[in-house]
Amino acid sequence: MTQVQLRSISKRFGGFTAIENIDLDIRSGELVALLGPSGCGKTTTLRMIAGLENPTTGEIHFDDRDVSDLRVQDRNVGMVFQRYALFPHMTVEKNIAFGLSVRGTPRSEISDRLDEIIDVVQLGPFRQRFPAQLSGGQMQRVAIARTLITKPSVLMMDEPLANLDTKLRGEMRRFIRTLQQRLGITTIFVTHDQVEAMELADRIAVIFNGHLAQFGPPEDLYRQPVSVDVADFMGASNIFPGTMTGTDAVKTGFGTLSVVAQPGMADGSRVHAMLRNEGIDIHPANVEGGDDMVAGRIAARDFFGATVNYVVECGAERIIVNEQSRRLLDVGMEVRLDIPAERVWLMAG
Amino acid sequence: MRRERLFLALQMTPIMVVLFLLFGGALVLAIVQSLGYAPWFGVNTFPDLSYFRALWSSPSFWQSLGLTMYYATVSTFLALVGGILLALALIKTFPGKTLYKYLYKLPLMIPYTVGIALAVLMLGNGGVLSRFAALFGLIDDPGQFPQILKTHYGWGIIAVYVWKQLPFITLAIYAVLLGIGRETEEAAAILGAKRRTIFFRVTLPQILPGIVSSTLICFAFNVGAFEAPFILGGGFPDTLPVVAWRYFNDADYTLQLQGMATVVSIGLIAGVILFGYLAAYRRFEKRMGRN
Repeated sequence: MTQVQLRSISKRFGGFTAIENIDLDIRSGELVALLGPSGCGKTTTLRMIAGLENPTTGEIHFDDRDVSDLRVQDRNVGMVFQRYALFPHMTVEKNIAFGLSVRGTPRSEISDRLDEIIDVVQLGPFRQRFPAQLSGGQMQRVAIARTLITKPSVLMMDEPLANLDTKLRGEMRRFIRTLQQRLGITTIFVTHDQVEAMELADRIAVIFNGHLAQFGPPEDLYRQPVSVDVADFMGASNIFPGTMTGTDAVKTGFGTLSVVAQPGMADGSRVHAMLRNEGIDIHPANVEGGDDMVAGRIAARDFFGATVNYVVECGAERIIVNEQSRRLLDVGMEVRLDIPAERVWLMAG
Repeated sequence: MRRERLFLALQMTPIMVVLFLLFGGALVLAIVQSLGYAPWFGVNTFPDLSYFRALWSSPSFWQSLGLTMYYATVSTFLALVGGILLALALIKTFPGKTLYKYLYKLPLMIPYTVGIALAVLMLGNGGVLSRFAALFGLIDDPGQFPQILKTHYGWGIIAVYVWKQLPFITLAIYAVLLGIGRETEEAAAILGAKRRTIFFRVTLPQILPGIVSSTLICFAFNVGAFEAPFILGGGFPDTLPVVAWRYFNDADYTLQLQGMATVVSIGLIAGVILFGYLAAYRRFEKRMGRN
């Protein structure tokens, strides 16, 4: 198991800065997701760790050893590409054995390790098939097996589930997580899908425009984002500008909300208040409530099966509320929204 | 449905006319003439294999065949090696790449005859290279410059073929390389493969379709090409197309039939070689799981 550390890494392509001064400490055996929109620099970061790109400035360490100048062949890392990058002219068996064969591993050992890994990824019946004869999920498994057979110190995955359908993606997520936990291999996973990142990762590094916006466990990023951009990217939410009145209340366009005092949020400071859609309770107007209740009217309803979204007009603002669809409220109904103080998160305005 | 078929047939007409009437008709005429049917020259001994017998039993035919194959094979091979290297270089990013991408294609737009003239100007004993060699004191006199043109080594012929065909092969392989991308090479490097291994085990098998199609075209052209060996060749023994031309150009019209036997022989030999090449490639493709 290997620790990976990025020390003030930057990457420039001509006049374009892809990555700017990123520091990242990845613990051994941890699965870290690099999350961000397309073109934010997450794949470039991954390629620098792999050795496919050289950082313009900064250092990359594996277990405190500087590998920045080490050739890709000598880093002992594994990488699963978005489009798998299987060798189309080789069978499943030859694809998987390639890494061992080029490293001069004895044939008997290759054969033993091949049997073992093919068993792990459940590709037994497909050993003699070519990539073109496999489904997306099977190709994915070949790519993972080809990488794992060399026992890399760090496993990297560049949007490996992007080309799979929804059902298969779910299966592969569970497969990857189980395999990673079983092998305890340090894994870095690139994705632009925040649900995928939260489901898989121990910690998530959110990257915007080449900058590391936030790095932490999924629940911290979801509940306590450091900025409006992170809050927005991590999931559906209502974000309103407001002004602190004291340290435990914020005045917004639809009324004053009670909040839990947060460091740095002083009286009179401009803030953004974030309310996750599912963090708001909605009640018919005739239900009595406490001081936190906000009055409104349901302007629209979107039914998703298991859950339902209500668009509630509260004065000049619109608040989206998500709840289980066990009951359905009608459009036009007067309602009251229960927004407990502990569910409001404040970010610097 | 019938209208669609009719429309399809109409769309195919231009190529069918060219293929069957012009090419097919000429081929049939060449074959029947080589078998002794040419009443317009006062010859009709059809079917008569004597022209082929005379040709194939002559040692000079086999010398000419050897020379034809030598020029065709060596120049195709050199253009292929150069084309692969150039295509691999072009796939990388380097300053001035856009300009270079235009420059290397320049010979494709220039006719062979111009290339031959350039070869005479540059490589001949009174040419630019020999004069520069004398100017810089490498030789005393331009006449001492080693003979490149008009020898049976065919350096001039090979130079012209390579000059013209290297960009063509590069273009074909470069297009395939663009299609396959860099990911399989990167995957191989991450798995520990060195550059040489990556090329022979990962890149080469993937660019093979481009190699086969472009070399096939170049080799077929080189076997049948006439101008370069005629102008830059070393005289007897000539390549087979030049031998055929000499028969056609003879005052004795009946020798045209011998010329046709030569042309048909070139076609047969090139056909057998190219068929064998394609069959071997198809076998390889099947082994690689590609149908």
